[in-house]
Amino acid sequence: MQELLGSISRLDPGATLGLRVIACFDELILGNVNTRALLAAAAALAGCPAGVVRIGSSEPTLVSPRGEMLACTPAATPKPDRNTGYTVWLQRAGAAGPNDGLILERLSIALCAKNSAGDEHRRRGLSVVLDSAASQPLRAAAADDLGLRSGEKYRVVLAPLFAVWERHPAGPEDVIGSPFGPLHAALIAEQFDPFQASPCGIGSAHPPGALTKSLRSALTALRLSESGAAPVCADDYGGLLDALLVDEDDVPHDDVVAVARIAERTWGLETVSALITHQTVRETARALGVHHSTLQHRLATVLEELGFPATEGLGRARLAAAYLTHRVRTSRVLEAPPPAQQVQR
Amino acid sequence: MTAARFGPARPEFDPELRASLAVVGGMFPPTITPELIGFMRASYASPPIEATLEQRGITRTDHTVPGYGGDDIAVSVLTADTGAQLPRVGVLFAHSGGLMFGDRFSGIDLVLDWVTDFGAALVTVEYRLAPEYPDPVPREDVFAALCWVHDHAAELGIRSDGIMLAGASAGGNLIAGAALAVRDRGGPPLIGQVLDYPMLDDRGGGYSLDQFDGVGVWDRVSNDTGWHALLGDARGGPDVSPYAAPARAEDLSGLPPTFLTVGSAEIFRNETADFAERMWRAGGNAELHIWPGAFHGADIFAPHTRVGRAMIQTRNAWVEHLLVG
Repeated sequence: MQELLGSISRLDPGATLGLRVIACFDELILGNVNTRALLAAAAALAGCPAGVVRIGSSEPTLVSPRGEMLACTPAATPKPDRNTGYTVWLQRAGAAGPNDGLILERLSIALCAKNSAGDEHRRRGLSVVLDSAASQPLRAAAADDLGLRSGEKYRVVLAPLFAVWERHPAGPEDVIGSPFGPLHAALIAEQFDPFQASPCGIGSAHPPGALTKSLRSALTALRLSESGAAPVCADDYGGLLDALLVDEDDVPHDDVVAVARIAERTWGLETVSALITHQTVRETARALGVHHSTLQHRLATVLEELGFPATEGLGRARLAAAYLTHRVRTSRVLEAPPPAQQVQR
Repeated sequence: MTAARFGPARPEFDPELRASLAVVGGMFPPTITPELIGFMRASYASPPIEATLEQRGITRTDHTVPGYGGDDIAVSVLTADTGAQLPRVGVLFAHSGGLMFGDRFSGIDLVLDWVTDFGAALVTVEYRLAPEYPDPVPREDVFAALCWVHDHAAELGIRSDGIMLAGASAGGNLIAGAALAVRDRGGPPLIGQVLDYPMLDDRGGGYSLDQFDGVGVWDRVSNDTGWHALLGDARGGPDVSPYAAPARAEDLSGLPPTFLTVGSAEIFRNETADFAERMWRAGGNAELHIWPGAFHGADIFAPHTRVGRAMIQTRNAWVEHLLVG
């Protein structure tokens, strides 16, 4: 497949090879293929052998671009990573290929999703824990299997399959279904070491029996996040994300409809955002970099559209809720980025 | 989550093969219309072969030989110093590419094992392409190349008592047509033919033909494009030669042992299985393999996958028993 990638980029130098590599591994994850198949795909895409070495596993696995199992040479075999428990590598004699980094990243995600620590049982565990249709005892058993402690709280991390991961969180991972298509899910402790993925949402912390709540808030947080920005954590919004009604099929509340009308103006959304994060008109104007008379003018329009005193008391909360709901409903973050962005990544 | 889909039910692609389609689709779209012939000629052109041949210890000699009407066409003879018995068994290879694109090295890496491991002399022919060269040019170029190999066997170091034929997709069409012509015209003796997912029938009609519109590799529209390029308005009518569309041959007796391979998830599933069935009815020797979840040319595009590897190994085992004494 390396030749095919070469052929594609010869025909179209701006071709979206990255997106094709990502889509290839997405399908392999969803197809639940075995480790050899994942390594074979990586090797075929790279045009050189691909391997994985795991802590506690006697032999590393190395596969050729034609899918054949190869013997490992100890000198060329890296040590498994202490944090993740494994290391993947491409065994290349010359300079790195243009897609090597991306291929290794996706291979790593696929192996991670396949077996957080090695067995099919555990992989399924995360899906069960996050399945609100599963019975409470079944979810509890799956949580036990994952080694979750009943006195502790955990968070769900969600990212689209095309997300860019700088660093993975430590914890079980899987690909789960959502109303927006398959998503990459991970489970982390309430207090967690920083990691970086974009776009990404981090759910509120809940005990093992209530992780579907964390999943819900993680999905809303993800939809408030943006490509290229830091992960959005539900904690930043307190209980607000749990309270937001963001079912696509619901008729939005009048407050949300009003915010949508305001958003049609070029200055609309940034002004509403500034209004709910700053206390006074003067502060808000400074944050927006506009004269306060300009802001007064905008504010009059905003208040007229909303029809309630949005800068005072409960009105501020109403505006904040309507603003967040509008952003979640109009989020484009789960759509695969356009080709140009993929090339630059 | 399974998205709703219109059209007939169809076998799912094997997961590894489905994944590879994410890459394959960029250079070989599922649906090829006449407007895409130019694109396909660029995208399906074989990559430089010299490094591969050198790495595998294969010697290439090029010859200009008379094709249809005595016009010059190119063939390459690939041999390796394997210590195998001389003269070598000759294999005539016709490449894939819908009769409209590709060259004599397209997809050839799948059959190089026959040179290095089984000691064959692989002769690959640059038959001329439709629509510029419609029927009978492509098939008669292949037949002429076969006759040239037979007539020059001694100087090529090839056995003259039996040549094997092999072709994939459009090449399978040309090879099956050549085998029929050999039988009917009394051509060079053949020891067997390999028909990989061959394009056999211009008339359509197989159920599988309508199952894969817009997905995989080589759908119904692509097939229409290929047949129309070869036959023009004669396509589907009463005047098409069985050498151009071998499924039209009423008699499939007297053919050499035939190996047929095809995917369950491709349009040629029915044509290929029917051809094998009709050979058996005529008392012939046919070996048929239908690979679950395989799209057209899965072993060419995704030789690293479980199904791709199995297709290659199974074919090689059959070829080995013919070539290695």
